[in-house]
Amino acid sequence: MATTTAQTVIATVPATPPAARSLKEANRRKQGRMAGWFLAPTVIGVGLFTVVPMIASIVLAFFSWDIISTPKFVGLDNFATIATSSTIRVSFLNTFGFVIVAVILQIVVALGLAVLVQTKMPGWLRGFFRSAFFFPLILSAASVSLIMSYLFNEDFGTINKILALIGLGPVKWLSTAAGAMVVTIIVYVWQNFGFTFLLFIGGLSSIPADVYEASSIDGASGWNQFSRITLPLVSPTMLVASVMAIISALQIFDQPYVLTRGGPGDSTRTAVMVIYQSAFTELHFGLAAAIGLVLMLVIMLATWAQFKLSTKFVFYM
Amino acid sequence: MSSLSRRAFIGLGGAAAVGTGLSWRRLSGLDIPGRNSDALSVCINGTAQDAAANQGLIDAFHKVHPDIPARITPVQGEDQSDFFAKVLTLVAAGTAPDVVMVATEGTQLFADRLAYPLDEFVMRDKADMQEYFDDVHPSLVESFMYKGNLYELPMDYNAANMFMSSKAMTMAGLDYPDIHWTWDDFHGYLKAMKKAATGSFRPFFWTNRLFGGIVPWLYTNDTSFIKPQRFTGGRWFWNQFYPKETQRSGGFRWTEPNAEDPKVIEAFEFMQELIAENLASSPVQGGGNELVSRFSEGVIGMTPAGGYWVEGLIEAGMKRTDYDAAYFPKGRTQQHQFGSTGYTIMKSSDKKDEAWEWIKFCSTLDGMRIVRRKPDSTAARRSWNTQLYKNAGPRHWDIFYNTVDKFPTSAPIPAPPQEAAVESALIKNVTSAVTGSRKHVTVALKNLQRDLEQAFGEE
Repeated sequence: MATTTAQTVIATVPATPPAARSLKEANRRKQGRMAGWFLAPTVIGVGLFTVVPMIASIVLAFFSWDIISTPKFVGLDNFATIATSSTIRVSFLNTFGFVIVAVILQIVVALGLAVLVQTKMPGWLRGFFRSAFFFPLILSAASVSLIMSYLFNEDFGTINKILALIGLGPVKWLSTAAGAMVVTIIVYVWQNFGFTFLLFIGGLSSIPADVYEASSIDGASGWNQFSRITLPLVSPTMLVASVMAIISALQIFDQPYVLTRGGPGDSTRTAVMVIYQSAFTELHFGLAAAIGLVLMLVIMLATWAQFKLSTKFVFYM
Repeated sequence: MSSLSRRAFIGLGGAAAVGTGLSWRRLSGLDIPGRNSDALSVCINGTAQDAAANQGLIDAFHKVHPDIPARITPVQGEDQSDFFAKVLTLVAAGTAPDVVMVATEGTQLFADRLAYPLDEFVMRDKADMQEYFDDVHPSLVESFMYKGNLYELPMDYNAANMFMSSKAMTMAGLDYPDIHWTWDDFHGYLKAMKKAATGSFRPFFWTNRLFGGIVPWLYTNDTSFIKPQRFTGGRWFWNQFYPKETQRSGGFRWTEPNAEDPKVIEAFEFMQELIAENLASSPVQGGGNELVSRFSEGVIGMTPAGGYWVEGLIEAGMKRTDYDAAYFPKGRTQQHQFGSTGYTIMKSSDKKDEAWEWIKFCSTLDGMRIVRRKPDSTAARRSWNTQLYKNAGPRHWDIFYNTVDKFPTSAPIPAPPQEAAVESALIKNVTSAVTGSRKHVTVALKNLQRDLEQAFGEE
C-alpha cells in the first residue's frame, strides 16, 4: 500500500533533535517579532494614510456629502452622474487624447535624445546634457505652467513676439481649443521627458558594446543597428517608461489648471481637474470620490493591458 | 547579515519615543493656531502676512473690549469658492471660526448654509449703527441681504470702472470721456488708440472672471446671464435705517438662467466684434497681477478695474497723472457691477455677541481707518474713502464711490448659493463665445444656458 511505503520512507529519514528544532523555531520567532517591530511604523503609516483613506473614498463614492452635512447614501447615483455628465465624459476623453499624444511624444523625444547623448556626444558633454534635460522635472509644475502662460500669452508673450519677427502670428495659443491643448502637451512633455530620458540612458548603458561591434563588422547601418539592436534591447526599459508615463499622464492636473483652467469651454479639462472641481469648488465630495474610483480603475486597466501586451513586444536578454 | 543588538534596538526605540513625544503637539494638531483657545476667531481670506498686518486692529479692538480676546486666522483661498471650501474644512475639523470675512461671491453661499443673520444685533444697537448706515450707500447693504435678513455689514467694495492709460489717450488725441459715453464711443476710442499705437499694444484688455469680465457689459446692456430678481422682505431694516429707500428689497435673487436672452447675445456679440477687430484681447484667465504691470508699462489702453487697483499701480511706479478712471460706457443703460466684502457671524459660533462686537467695531470710522490704510479697495464708508483716495487716486478718483450714487440700479456680482458652479459655467463658455466667429456666440450661450440649468438643478 502507498501509505505504508510513505511511512516507511519517512521513518528512515534521520530526525532533527527536538532541542535544536525548538531553538531554531524560537530564533525564527524572535527574528519575526523583530521584523514586525521594524515594519510596524511603515505598516501603520501606510495603513493610516493610504489604505484607510482609499477605503474611505471608495465608500464615499456611494454617498452624497458636502463636508458639513451628514453624508447621505445615494447608491449608484454618483456613477449615473458620471455616465450622463457631458463635462465628465469630455474630461475623460481629453485625458485619453492627451495621454496618447503626450506619452508617445515623451518617449520618442526621450529615446531620441538618449541615443544622441549616448552615441554622438563627447564624454565631457554627456553629464551636462543629462542634468539639463532632467532639470525641468525638479521644478514645480505650477510655477513652470505660470511661466509658460506668460510665454504663450497671445498679446505680450515671447513666443508670439518671435513669430512676429518672422512675419507669423499672432497665434491664439490659449484661447482656442486646439492651441490650448497643444500648449498643455508641450509644457507637460518639456517638463517630464527628463525622467524617461534618464531611464533610457540607463537602458542604453546596459547594452553590451560588442553587439554593436559585431553588427558593424557584418555591415549593419546606423538605422539597422537602432531598429534591430537598440530598440529590442531597450524594450524592457520602454515598458517601464511607458507604464510610468501613462500613469503620470492620466493624472495630469497642474498644467491645464494653471494655463487654461480647463478652457476654452471644456477643451483642456482633465479627469483629475473634474475631481478637484467637484470636491473643492462644488462640494460634491461623493461624486469626486466616484470619479476618482473610475480613474483608478482606468489606470489599473491601462497598466494591466501594458504588461499583458509586453509579452509580445518586450525582449529580455 | 549583521544583527542589531538588544541595547541598540532599545536605544532606537527610545529615540523614536522621544521624537514622537517632542513632536506630539504637531502630530496631534495641538499647535494649530486657535485650537483649544477661547479667543474670538476671525477668519480672513488672506495670508499670514495679512493676518500680521491686522494686528493693529486686534490691539485697537482689545482696548475697547479688554474682556474679548480675539485672533485672526488667515485662510488662503484662490477664489471665494476655494476659500469657502477651506472654511468648511475648518468647520468639519471642529475648529470653526466665529467670524468670517466674506465677499459678495460667497455671501449667499454662507447665508444659505453657515451664517447667522445680524438682524437682532443691528436692531439692538440701532442708535450706534445709524451713524454707520448714514455713511454707507444702501446698494452695498442690500447686496448683503438674503431672503429678507441682513448677513454682513459692508467694509469695502469695488465697482467695475474703466481704467485708461494717459499715454494711450494722449497719443490717440482722446479726451476724458463724457459720463454717459456709449458703447459706440468706446469702440471709437479703441480704434483711435489702435491707430495711434506703435509696437505691442492692446487697446482693451480684459479677464475672464465674474468681476470685470463679461458681466459689466451685460449689466450696461440691461441684462445678465442669470435673471436679476429680488427677494421680498427686509422692510424691518429699510424702514429703520434708510426710510427714504422705499424700493429696496430683501436681497438679490438669482435662480433663473438667462444666457439666451437677446440682450445677452447682443453684449457677447459686441465683445466678439471687438476681438475680431483686434481691438480687444481674448479674455485671459485668472487675476490681474500681470495686468497691473502691463498697464503700468503702457501696453494696454483700457481695462476694467475698481478702486482696489490704485495701490497696485502706485507700487508699480505709476503717477496719479499716468492713468485715469471713468464710468463704464452705456449700452441700453449704465447699470454698473460691484462686489463687496464684509464680516459674517457663523451659525456654529458660541460667541455671537462677541462676534457682533467685532463686526460693530470694524464698522466704526476708527476701525475702518485701521483696516484700510491704503487705497487698495473702496472703503464702504464714504467719509473714509474720500480721505483714502483724494491724495492718492487718479484725477477722477471720486467715481469709485460715486458709481453707486450716479447709477443707483448698480447691482452686485450675480452670486447665488451655487456661485461656484455658476462661475465655472460662465468662465467655461465665455472664451468659446467671444473668440470664434459670430455664429459661435449663440452656440456657446446655448451651452452656458445648459450648464447653468444643470448648476441650479443640482441643488
